[in-house]
Amino acid sequence: MHLVPPVSRDRVISHFPKWYTPEACLQFKDHFQAQVRSACHQRNTGTVGLKISKVVVVGDLFVGKTSLINRFCKDIFDRDYKATIGVDFEIERFEIAGVPYNLQIWDTAGQEKFKCIASAYYRGAEVIVTVFDLADIQTLDHTKQWLEDALRENEPGSSFIFLVGTKKDLVSGAACERTERDAIRFASEMQAEYWSVSAKTGENVKEFFSRVAALAFERSMLKELEKSNGRMAQIGAGNLIKLEGNSLDAPESNSQASLSCC
Amino acid sequence: MERIRALTDLRELEAAYGRLCAEEKVVEEELEALLEQQGTIENKMVALHRMGPNLQLIEGDARQLAGMITFTWNLAENVSSKVRQLDLAKNRLYQAIQRADDILDLKFCMDGVQTALRNEDYEQAAAHIHRYLSLDKSVIELSRQGKEGSIIDANLKLLQEAEQRLKTIVTEKFDLAMKQGDLPQVERFFKIFPLLGLHEEGLSKFSEYLCKQVANKAEENLLLVMGTDMSDRRAAVIFADTLTLLFEGIARIVETHQPIVETYYGLGRLYTLIKHLQVECDRQVEKVVDKFIKQRDYHRQFQQVQNSMMRSSATEKIEPRELDPILTEVTLMNARSELYLRFIKRRIISDFEVGDSMASEEVKQEHQKYLDKLLNNCLLSRTMQELIGYYITMEEYFMRETVNKAVAMDTYEKGQLISSMVDDVFYIVKKCIGRALSSSSIDCLCAMINHSTTELESDFREVLYNKLKLGFPATTFQDFQRGVTSAVNIMHSSLQQGKFDTKGIESTDEAKQSFLVTLNNVEVCSENIMTLKKTLESDCSKLLSQGFGGEQAQAKIDSCLSDMAAVSNKFRDLLQEGLNELNSSAIKPQVKPWINLFLSVSHNIEEEEFNDYEANDPWVQQFIVNLEQQMAEFKSGLSPVIYDSLTSLMTSLVAIELEKVVLKSTFSRLGGLQFDKELRSLIAYLTTVTTWTIRDKFARLSQMATILNLERVTEILDYWGPNSGPLTWRLTPAEVRQVLALRIDFRSEDIKRLRL
Repeated sequence: MHLVPPVSRDRVISHFPKWYTPEACLQFKDHFQAQVRSACHQRNTGTVGLKISKVVVVGDLFVGKTSLINRFCKDIFDRDYKATIGVDFEIERFEIAGVPYNLQIWDTAGQEKFKCIASAYYRGAEVIVTVFDLADIQTLDHTKQWLEDALRENEPGSSFIFLVGTKKDLVSGAACERTERDAIRFASEMQAEYWSVSAKTGENVKEFFSRVAALAFERSMLKELEKSNGRMAQIGAGNLIKLEGNSLDAPESNSQASLSCC
Repeated sequence: MERIRALTDLRELEAAYGRLCAEEKVVEEELEALLEQQGTIENKMVALHRMGPNLQLIEGDARQLAGMITFTWNLAENVSSKVRQLDLAKNRLYQAIQRADDILDLKFCMDGVQTALRNEDYEQAAAHIHRYLSLDKSVIELSRQGKEGSIIDANLKLLQEAEQRLKTIVTEKFDLAMKQGDLPQVERFFKIFPLLGLHEEGLSKFSEYLCKQVANKAEENLLLVMGTDMSDRRAAVIFADTLTLLFEGIARIVETHQPIVETYYGLGRLYTLIKHLQVECDRQVEKVVDKFIKQRDYHRQFQQVQNSMMRSSATEKIEPRELDPILTEVTLMNARSELYLRFIKRRIISDFEVGDSMASEEVKQEHQKYLDKLLNNCLLSRTMQELIGYYITMEEYFMRETVNKAVAMDTYEKGQLISSMVDDVFYIVKKCIGRALSSSSIDCLCAMINHSTTELESDFREVLYNKLKLGFPATTFQDFQRGVTSAVNIMHSSLQQGKFDTKGIESTDEAKQSFLVTLNNVEVCSENIMTLKKTLESDCSKLLSQGFGGEQAQAKIDSCLSDMAAVSNKFRDLLQEGLNELNSSAIKPQVKPWINLFLSVSHNIEEEEFNDYEANDPWVQQFIVNLEQQMAEFKSGLSPVIYDSLTSLMTSLVAIELEKVVLKSTFSRLGGLQFDKELRSLIAYLTTVTTWTIRDKFARLSQMATILNLERVTEILDYWGPNSGPLTWRLTPAEVRQVLALRIDFRSEDIKRLRL
């Protein structure tokens, strides 16, 4: 077995990353939930080794999905447009609250003719990132359709949704503000969190993905904890009959036991 | 002195005197030592005086030496400057000779070119021109400035003219040979181009010739295809075959002409040749694919599939079986293309590698970029991507529809644990993924794995889930016994028809049967998914080891397959749910009354009754018989693994229920003994039907039996706390007191007084 090099410094997240704008944001909080924090602290992060979340990036062609991902994963920006064929794929390693964590980023093709193949990859996405071009308002209109397609392959409510406007460097401040207002309206309809980024300058790219990683990480941790608690309760309840007098404090001791020993 | 004079006190005077005496002694000693040294110093002085004249001698010698060195240095400097001059002279001489040679060469070349051209010996002429072109331009420039400038000028002009003439001649002759399809002549002039410095032109002209050949051959093949009888053995994959022929033709051309290109054009030129060929390849592929789309009605079929998928109620649903041949052909076509592209890629890479071995990193990256661009942007790969895109949707439809059909045609045969649809569904899924795999496209394969996972997870699991949701019909014990016999009857009758119709579940017996079969189905599904995953893993590693797929291919496959494995767990969860349902709806209602009968057997007994119980067992034997009867049906109807889980659930249930009734009973000393006996025989029986130990489940009951068997209340202390030994108490102190209180002969004050 080969040793994996440690996660690079700028992929270590110890504080909960902030949202972009409070007007379209999924969660208002500055810290990880206490449960998650304590679990991370005690290193009882569940049975299965490394946690992985799947991120699917969708949106019209030429809005800059691949550029966004390349800026984050490889820190490069290629001026030449090269259409993505089928799907591209990157794994980005993080360390969140001291726990190793991977984001699996699926970069789908925006061209209509590749949609058949790309849509096969929507399933099981913990995070759906719908991307549009801040300089091309039409691409914003299309995000609804993209999201709908992606949600069809997933259980309702199981994915975080992000709406991302790219190419911020190309639009003037005033125009950007105008488009952002529209986008925020869209985002709240979609129940998505809104971000404006620029892959060319790198503005907000790292912040955005950190936010994605932290939210996805917390949810998957909560899920894991819930599952292990459930398992514990089941075993406890199966074997014991609680006497009338004891039945009240039974669940409490149960959950306590599971917290301390899972 | 002043101080001494001032001294008046005798003691002080004495002290001063003493001090002075000591000082005197020290001074005297020093003086003596100095005197001793006087002799040696004088000796040394004498020696020094003697050395004086010698020094003068040395000084003279040194001066002489310095003079000599200066002289030698001057001499050396002189000599080396002369050598340098000589060297320079020699170099110039060489240059002069070189130039003279060049000029001679030039003349020779010129004469040679003239004669060679006259003799139509183009190779010779080209060799002369090549020699001329490789001459240093500055030399030629310089020669023109010499005395014979005008002659050389004229010669040069002639040479240049000859060069131009040769170029046109070669081009013309090449074109002519190409038109006539004269391969030796084509190759002959192809070899001359690089001598004239026309590498690119030569390659492009030669490629033109090769492309023409490719085109002719392809046209022929396509005509052949159009004339092929539909009954031909290969008719179903005729377009894939045509593509194969095309690719093989190009590969053969590359194979045969690569050595010539390498020898006459140098390394790293193969890319140019292939780039030209690829254009023709794309043109021909387009033609073949167009024909394919037209003849097979590919787009219309896709449209139809898409419509059927959108509106599930569509009347003219396309028959999935009709799609089968076209899907196979598309994957075959893509596989051939991938194979061809891999061949091209390998060839170019190795050619670049040898050619770039000395090149800088930038040049290498540049070349890599060229290659990527050629491979990804060529019409061939784009066309195939499009075809595969349509294919994915159609394959998904094929899989879904066929699975639906398998579910609809589900049959169950007696003696089998599972029904037909499980094997059918997995056969279909395997077939569809296998077909996607055969396309050699990793993206296509992953997409199909994802679709299969979705199909299994949502649609097929839903089918099984709905069957389980119908539940296991609850019956009373008598009904249940009757049920077994009538179920056997029904099964007999259905066996005669050869089918067991699970669609219309009318009777409870059929419902029961269906429930058990579904449980088995769920378990087998979970197993099958894991097997499928393992098979795919090895298949994929085979594919990847052959060099297909990009850098992230392995990671993509791993991710998709782990998704698939997760579905196996979902089936496992479903199985657990089903078992719980079975346990609570079928076993619990039966077992509970049987256990409640325990209450009607008094355990507050004396010697006489105890003996009577010994002879006529009041409860436990009947209970065991009942249990056995009940489990027998499940044992035959469920797979061993599920049956084991079920008995485990059953034993837990028995333990829990028995505990409840024990706590409701009262016991005498002998009653406790009786209970202990009963518990032992029950545990003994249950141990024989389960594969793992059940002691743990009955630990609390065993401990209760121990307590109920005590002589005195205080005897518990022999087993409690520090005296417990290897025994781990599963009962809390409160529960121990409660159990003790069940004994009617134990006084409650004694129990209260216990310190536990």
